[in-house]
Amino acid sequence: MKPKQPLFHVVKRDHVSRGQLVLAYVLAVVIAVAVGAVLLTVMGVPFGAFYQKMFTLGLLDNKFAYKNVENFIKLFVPLLITSLALALAFRMRFWNIGGEGQFTLGALCAGAVAMQLGDSLPRIVVLLLMALAGMLGGGLYGVIAAILKVRYGTNETLLTLMFNYMALYLLAFFGETRGAWNFFLDPQSPRPRFMTFPEGAQMLTIPLGKFSLNVSLLVALALCAGIFVYLKYTKQGYEIAVVGDSPNTAKYAGMKVGAIVIRTVFLSAALIGLAGAFCVSSAGVLSTSLTNDVGWTGIIVAWLAKLNVLGILVASALITVLQYGAQAASVTYSSVDANFADLLQGMILFAVLAADFFTRFKLARSAHSGEVAK
Amino acid sequence: MAEQYAIEMRGITKAFGSVVANHNVELKVRQGEILALLGENGSGKTTLMNMLSGIYRPDAGEILVDGKPVSIQSPEDAKRLGIGMVHQHFKLVDVFSAADNIWMGSQEKDFLLHKSRYDRIRKVTEKFGFDVDPEKKVYNMAVSEKQTLEIVKVLYYGAKVIILDEPTAVLTVQETRKLFDVLRRMKAEGHAVIIITHKLNEVLEISDRVAILRKGEYITTVDTATTNEQALTEWMVGRKVDLNIQRPQVEKTRPLLEIRDLTIKNDEGAVAIDKVNFYIRGGEILGVAGIAGCGQKELCEAIAGLRPIQSGQMIHKGENIVGLSPKAILDKGISMSFIPEDRLGMGLAPSLSIIDNMLLKSYRDGKGIFVDRKRGREEADTVIRELGVVTPSAETPVRRLSGGNVQKVLLGREIKAGPNVLVTAYPVRGLDINSSYAIYDILNRQKKDGVGILFVGEDLDVMMALCDKIMVLCHGRLMGVVHAHKTTKEELGLMMTGALDLTGDEGRHAKGIAKDTRFGEEVEE
Amino acid sequence: MNDTSAASILVLFLFNIIVYNIPLLYGTVGEIITEKAGSLNLGVEGTMAVGAMFGYLAGAWTDNILVGLVVSFLTAALCGLLFAVLTVSLQANQNVTGLTITTFGVGLYFFIGKGVGQNWPTMQQAPGLSAAFGEIHIPVLSDLPVVGKVLFSHNPLVYLGLAIAVLAWWYLSCTRMGLKLRAVGENPGAADSVGVNILLYKYLNLMLGSGIMGLGGFYMALNMSGSFEGSNCWVNGYGWIAIALVIFANWNPLYAILGTVVFGFFNTLQVYAGTLASAFPDGLGWLNAVPPHLFKALPFIITAIVLVVSSIRNREGSGQPAALGLNYFREER
Repeated sequence: MKPKQPLFHVVKRDHVSRGQLVLAYVLAVVIAVAVGAVLLTVMGVPFGAFYQKMFTLGLLDNKFAYKNVENFIKLFVPLLITSLALALAFRMRFWNIGGEGQFTLGALCAGAVAMQLGDSLPRIVVLLLMALAGMLGGGLYGVIAAILKVRYGTNETLLTLMFNYMALYLLAFFGETRGAWNFFLDPQSPRPRFMTFPEGAQMLTIPLGKFSLNVSLLVALALCAGIFVYLKYTKQGYEIAVVGDSPNTAKYAGMKVGAIVIRTVFLSAALIGLAGAFCVSSAGVLSTSLTNDVGWTGIIVAWLAKLNVLGILVASALITVLQYGAQAASVTYSSVDANFADLLQGMILFAVLAADFFTRFKLARSAHSGEVAK
Repeated sequence: MAEQYAIEMRGITKAFGSVVANHNVELKVRQGEILALLGENGSGKTTLMNMLSGIYRPDAGEILVDGKPVSIQSPEDAKRLGIGMVHQHFKLVDVFSAADNIWMGSQEKDFLLHKSRYDRIRKVTEKFGFDVDPEKKVYNMAVSEKQTLEIVKVLYYGAKVIILDEPTAVLTVQETRKLFDVLRRMKAEGHAVIIITHKLNEVLEISDRVAILRKGEYITTVDTATTNEQALTEWMVGRKVDLNIQRPQVEKTRPLLEIRDLTIKNDEGAVAIDKVNFYIRGGEILGVAGIAGCGQKELCEAIAGLRPIQSGQMIHKGENIVGLSPKAILDKGISMSFIPEDRLGMGLAPSLSIIDNMLLKSYRDGKGIFVDRKRGREEADTVIRELGVVTPSAETPVRRLSGGNVQKVLLGREIKAGPNVLVTAYPVRGLDINSSYAIYDILNRQKKDGVGILFVGEDLDVMMALCDKIMVLCHGRLMGVVHAHKTTKEELGLMMTGALDLTGDEGRHAKGIAKDTRFGEEVEE
Repeated sequence: MNDTSAASILVLFLFNIIVYNIPLLYGTVGEIITEKAGSLNLGVEGTMAVGAMFGYLAGAWTDNILVGLVVSFLTAALCGLLFAVLTVSLQANQNVTGLTITTFGVGLYFFIGKGVGQNWPTMQQAPGLSAAFGEIHIPVLSDLPVVGKVLFSHNPLVYLGLAIAVLAWWYLSCTRMGLKLRAVGENPGAADSVGVNILLYKYLNLMLGSGIMGLGGFYMALNMSGSFEGSNCWVNGYGWIAIALVIFANWNPLYAILGTVVFGFFNTLQVYAGTLASAFPDGLGWLNAVPPHLFKALPFIITAIVLVVSSIRNREGSGQPAALGLNYFREER
């Protein structure tokens, strides 16, 4: 037998420096953007101009630029909070892909509070109650899968996936079913339609000249700081780190691993519900397409950021720029769909996943043990 | 012309990250012989064999089969070269039948799965003299049946070189005897057999030659007929060092931890610890000896509250601790540290820093919601200084430390907690001499402070020098408790293999017997 | 309404259960093959979208259904290849990779569809393609009352889907390759140790599985008469339902046929509830009182229950591969 010997084989890496990591990621983004440029050229679109429009969000030479920024923030906040929340669950290797459902349920619960109490209580109280309702709705919905996983080992990936659709159809049910009981609907409209929230249930804004700053952005940034501190300095954050790293060790240290998983997943899902509450409160109305896929995109963001809080801030901003920018650019270049953002997003993540490999493994030269003998 | 070997390995080196598992190892096996590969736990035996079977690839060195250099890139290559390995953890698909486990890798060209495969496999099985039901699903099989299936599988594939990794660890005495008959028959048929083991009696019984590894290094190969246990032990553990471990005499206190009629099951649901009785007093070190897998791990886990017990009592300072949570047991001052074979599995969080690992059991202390990292840093610095941990900083993830340093961190933390009962399993596993002595010193200091120590060890010489008493387990049963300074290695060895049971009447006149052997019965010391 | 027209509504309802839901069968069978190889590919939706878009364009431009089938299979298989490269060779997380395939695939679908723009080929411009997708007439069988219409006068791709499901079952259960494939999904370490080429098996079967999903996408494109809308993807969530169906079918392609009928029943009922209620006011009048959303949600509710119950009852008898979702690295210590 003639020995065949590949030049390299794969071995695990002990350690990779932060610089190498950043370099790998930047390279990944560059590659994806370059492939995107090729695709654009094939479509006959000048990619330079397109990218310029896209990455500047169509703000240049736009007298309604402040409106664009306001809308950008409305997209950015839910994604940021959702990604942050998902990272909490992923840190414990709990595959919560039910972000869509938890977001929807949070929005629905907040919407119920808005419709019922929006007129009768002070605005700040209504908004707080909406946030609370959103967190409870999302949190309780998410924690079901956690309890079943801890108790029976139910596959949480598949279960939370099912839960997404159940929540979606529940929302659609409220949006499309007439009835005296259905306080969500606009009684004036001939077709079933969600009614706009009363004034008192709409998100607070701080006027800065023409621009009004959405308060949920401030809350989201505060949450970033809060989660950062929570993970890094608190006892519960410490437990999350240990359980995520080695459940056996956590058990050995006397931690109640199941309870910690359930608690963390509740927190994660509750935050997603809060994102849902903020989203509907900012939009001022429920809709069946309110999630804007944040439950899915959040997973991509959390993964891009390696579950790191600061990274999530950067990655969610980048992804929102892609999405919002592609929308803005496709107004000018009508042959390019707004979903070009998804395409780019996908390619960036492919490149990052591939780059990840080289940060976790390395190719080692194989030994020349089997030199061919005569 | 030089003699032609079935297998020849030359200058094999293999490292995992910074850990060198094999360094410049040589190995030769003839056709029609049984070669024992002897070495302590962690000496690199399995790694070496995994390179022969294509699981790992060597970093350096060459492998010759029938005198020709070969490159083994995958298990498929190994199979083609007629090398088959029975792994310690069986490689079987649970939901498949015995036949399908063989069929999935066999050479037949059949495209379809015919019922006739059962007959074909049954015929071959019978030809080899085995009794395996080809249609039985693996998940319905007992351990010995699975092993037989693994051997049949390897033979079915036409292996001429058969490697068995600690095959007797999971077998009863009778089953072991049957296995050895099988191995002798394979040898008679011209197969080369390599059996990995660390049990000397088995080596002497079954092998023609013995190759010895120590800490990843090749030591020597000798003819079994010309050697004996002493010589093999010396090669295995290295030059006969005067251990000179101190055994300070300390005023013993009343029993701190009493174990009564304890029965525990292992993960597979089999009895791991069978009605065991013993106690630990303050100011003494009680050794636990036994071959790998005789229930030590389950015992440690049960004491720490990590494993439910079937029956019996565990009484700590007069209070039953059965059913308490690990946290509650910890709070009572019972500390357990277990160094598993991969060193990181239990007790440490590999990706976290030394500081964070220091806090593992005490992070809840103190008021407020924040972890007191300042104290963690102080403790980490103390342990690093006092135990001589080699690390770039206290912030370094434990994963990146070398084995010895990992263990120092682990033991350092346990002692910092100020326990009154210290359960420690394999604390010197893989450590060099100096580090080991540092660990013994630490344990002796604890003993002087009145701590009761349960020391689960591998090295009998160390245990005889360090411990006050040694209890021996065999297949989960207590074979007796002996005074370390009175007993002999032979006595311990006989008990470990189940040949000597001091708990019955014949133990009354044994050399080292301690009164704990028959619980509650006074025997003169 | 007289009895004959009521009966014909019922027949049409049953007929449509099959016509509209066969793509689920394609998606499910593709995912079963993928999961039996131990890989959880959440990219079904995106893979089907890619197969749909490229398959339809190729089929319409060449006016040939075979070209469409081949192209949809191949382009979807490329998605499977991408998934395999990332998760098998580069050890990337399967959940994230699958989701990204969906994001990417749906993005590509819209990008291409919008990009083709004015040159979009309609079904009218491809008479050969339309004809090939038309209902076939089987002598005798098609003429049987009721069953003739419900079972024996569908377009050829319905029968292709059923044939693929049966073949997939045969492949998994009755062939040696299927045995090896299942071994890879159950215990890659064991399969590897006896010389099964894990890399080859994973790559081939992930591509095969994805290719079959792509055929389902192609079917959907034709069933939507190839009319591209900028807002709605042809696949329209069927890829996700397929993932649920895999669980419902207990990883068995034959049960997948049954599951497709059950899921399809609810899917179609949601559209036909009103019509059926007025056709059979005595027997089915209550259908009007049931919100259609419940019918839409039922497949997911049933699957969730199946998932929970089977996990409570342990793995005994479950077809879920033991190593599902786990990457295999031979030198893992």
